[in-house]
Amino acid sequence: MAQGNLGIEPNVLKAIYVQMSRIRAVDKAIQAGLSAGKFMFTYWPMTGQECIPATIAQLTTERDYMVTTYRGIHDQVAKGVDLFGMFAEALGRQDGVNKGKGGSPHISDPSSGSMVTTAIVGAGAPIANGLAISAKERGEDRVTIVNFGDGATSIGAVHEAMNLAGAWKLPVIFLCQNNQWGEYTPIPDYTAGPNFFGRAEALGFRGVQLDGNDPAAFYAGMQDVIDHVRAGKGPVFVEALTYRMGPHAGVGDNYNADKDVLAAAKERAPLEKTRALLAEAGICSEEELEGIDAAAKTEVEDAIARAMASPVTPAEETLTDVFADVTCVPQRGQYPERADEGEPTGEAKTMSMVESIRDAQQIAMSKNGEVFILGEDVGDPHGGVFGTNKGLQTEFGKNRVRPTPIAEQAIIGAAIGSSIAGMSPIAEIMFTDFFGVCMDQVFNHAAKQRYMSGSATHAPMTIRVQAGGGMGGFGAQHSQSMESWLLHSPGIKVVYPSTPADAKGLLTSCINDPDPCVMFESMMLLFTQKGEVPLGEYAIPLGVAKVRREGTDITIVTYGWQVYQCLAAAEELAKEGISAEVIDLRSLVPIDYHRVLTSVRKTGRALVVHAAVEFCGFGAEIASTINEELWRDLKAPAMRFGAAYAPIAYSNAIEMSQVPNSGSIIARIHEAMKA
Amino acid sequence: MSTILTVPKLAMSMSEGTIAEWVVADGADVTEGQIIYLLESDKSTTEIEAPASGKLIHKAEAGSTLDCGTEIGEII
Ligand SMILES: Cc1ncc(C[n+]2csc(CCOP(=O)(O)OP(=O)(O)O)c2C)c(N)n1
Repeated sequence: MAQGNLGIEPNVLKAIYVQMSRIRAVDKAIQAGLSAGKFMFTYWPMTGQECIPATIAQLTTERDYMVTTYRGIHDQVAKGVDLFGMFAEALGRQDGVNKGKGGSPHISDPSSGSMVTTAIVGAGAPIANGLAISAKERGEDRVTIVNFGDGATSIGAVHEAMNLAGAWKLPVIFLCQNNQWGEYTPIPDYTAGPNFFGRAEALGFRGVQLDGNDPAAFYAGMQDVIDHVRAGKGPVFVEALTYRMGPHAGVGDNYNADKDVLAAAKERAPLEKTRALLAEAGICSEEELEGIDAAAKTEVEDAIARAMASPVTPAEETLTDVFADVTCVPQRGQYPERADEGEPTGEAKTMSMVESIRDAQQIAMSKNGEVFILGEDVGDPHGGVFGTNKGLQTEFGKNRVRPTPIAEQAIIGAAIGSSIAGMSPIAEIMFTDFFGVCMDQVFNHAAKQRYMSGSATHAPMTIRVQAGGGMGGFGAQHSQSMESWLLHSPGIKVVYPSTPADAKGLLTSCINDPDPCVMFESMMLLFTQKGEVPLGEYAIPLGVAKVRREGTDITIVTYGWQVYQCLAAAEELAKEGISAEVIDLRSLVPIDYHRVLTSVRKTGRALVVHAAVEFCGFGAEIASTINEELWRDLKAPAMRFGAAYAPIAYSNAIEMSQVPNSGSIIARIHEAMKA
Repeated sequence: MSTILTVPKLAMSMSEGTIAEWVVADGADVTEGQIIYLLESDKSTTEIEAPASGKLIHKAEAGSTLDCGTEIGEII
């Protein structure tokens, strides 16, 4: 074939082959090493899919963002992740790009633009939107490419992300590497609609199908797609046709595939075809091709040898990278005393919690142009279902107060991605009960990004969430207290204010915090609590509890709207001569055990009270710590008191009795005093 | 430098493997990439290639089932 008929510049084709050869060398070395027992790690082979990233590498730079999956070793290699750092990571070594904390399925290497790698099918798509938002808002011409398999087209996160990207015309490319298999299930068995690229059109943006095994055609197609996205014309969905030659995981051939189908796919495999084409067209001599392959092999051998010499990341690293500051990690025996906010000195104004939350956001947004709000109905005139953002869209515009589709995974993912890029998003989730539909984004991604990446990247975002319960009339799906889900997911900070001033101060700290934070806003308090709130910027450090009422006989530890039930109970108990101290935790992680233990040391008794279900609740955790630390000083064992083990009922009589109230708290305290 | 051969972990679910057959005899020379033994796991058999060239030493009998990571030979 003459060079002119190739449909691609010879030097570009050669450059594509160089990347394919590097990918193949990596693939072969891993398979050989696993087979020989030289090392052990879980490997998801990408054999046969080399052409896709090798080609994209010619059209993008390290400034462009990439998100990929566990299978994306080929994507990492072509994106430019250092091979030594990549292998060391796969082997769990100290010199890994992520300190050996994430492993190959969680590579994050901002220096090459490989931002997030997820092992959760489809979960990268919502996060890619966030990266794209940052590029768009900053006026950068970066594109974000999120890779996923054909199987991922079935999962809700991908649909939610595509819809949001279309609505907001984000500079993102949804790159579906259609290798014909979703784990062990072939396409026709999992969908009646295998026209994947057509789904984009249904959502109002461009979708194309390209031969991902033909470098010339794929290069031309991707050039057009990338130009379109860089020019600000909105997202594109690319279905890149290829074939998975290997098994889902492990080494060798795809043993699920029909022998004839696999043989036919091997005929179409891109690397061998491209190599032959380069020779046939006279672009490279056989010696030159051998030179390319040999250089790749040497590069890989050297990287592996050095990676294997790197020390295994030691157990001492267990708690580093959970949070930016290791003292925020709850640890037995470590109860740091943090300075409180001090007495506010400047001017103050009476506000409701709704107003103080709005005030905190208004100030943060004025001060920092990269703070923005996103969530359902957050725009004006309503400013959110409870009005916590009222007026902010009018003041800051539609790009900084963004009403979203009703898609919680898309909301949280967009916050994660934009925060990884350095923005300070505030995502509003209407009710805590809806955490169920976005929990993967919250606890697998926002919470773990710092740890999995060895702090190479992190998600300094804020989630504000309204919590029902206690008011009656909302039923089982709008009244829960779900904080324990988050407390049990290392990597997220949680605050739960009980006063307007605390809401403002804590939210300010959350927005400025380097870690993902969730603030619970109780419906019981949003409108009913009014109080003096300092004007101007006002922050309350995370992890500082506050004594709401002093006492000597028992310490009641609580937070959120239960603070008022406990204060009412303490008032009643005082009439009987029982002096109760009430501690408002305010911040649940980091927790202020110092002030809790100091108080209980004085009173000798403790009861932890919360609106959340008692069984496996936060109260059990706190009571247990008090008992372990102070049992010699205690007059009675520390106890806990939470809601009955039942969904919240619609019946007012049940709801009012199933959650602690001042009457039932008093009864529980009588038990504690008897003991 | 010698290369230690251990029972590889070929798939996520694999915890042990059976040496179905040594294709290359004890003490014979092998070249990198040559098939040296057959490993059976989860009812499928995989041809295992020599990761290096040299003299193959067997350290486990054909037919034995061993945990992943167990040393079964060496190439010196
Ligand atoms: C949410 C979720 N469900 C299931 C799995 C288990 N799983 C891992 S890979 C995979 C197949 C995904 O197929 P596809 O999206 O086509 O990507 P490929 O592996 O072919 O690259 C499955 C089901 C997972 N990791 N995440």
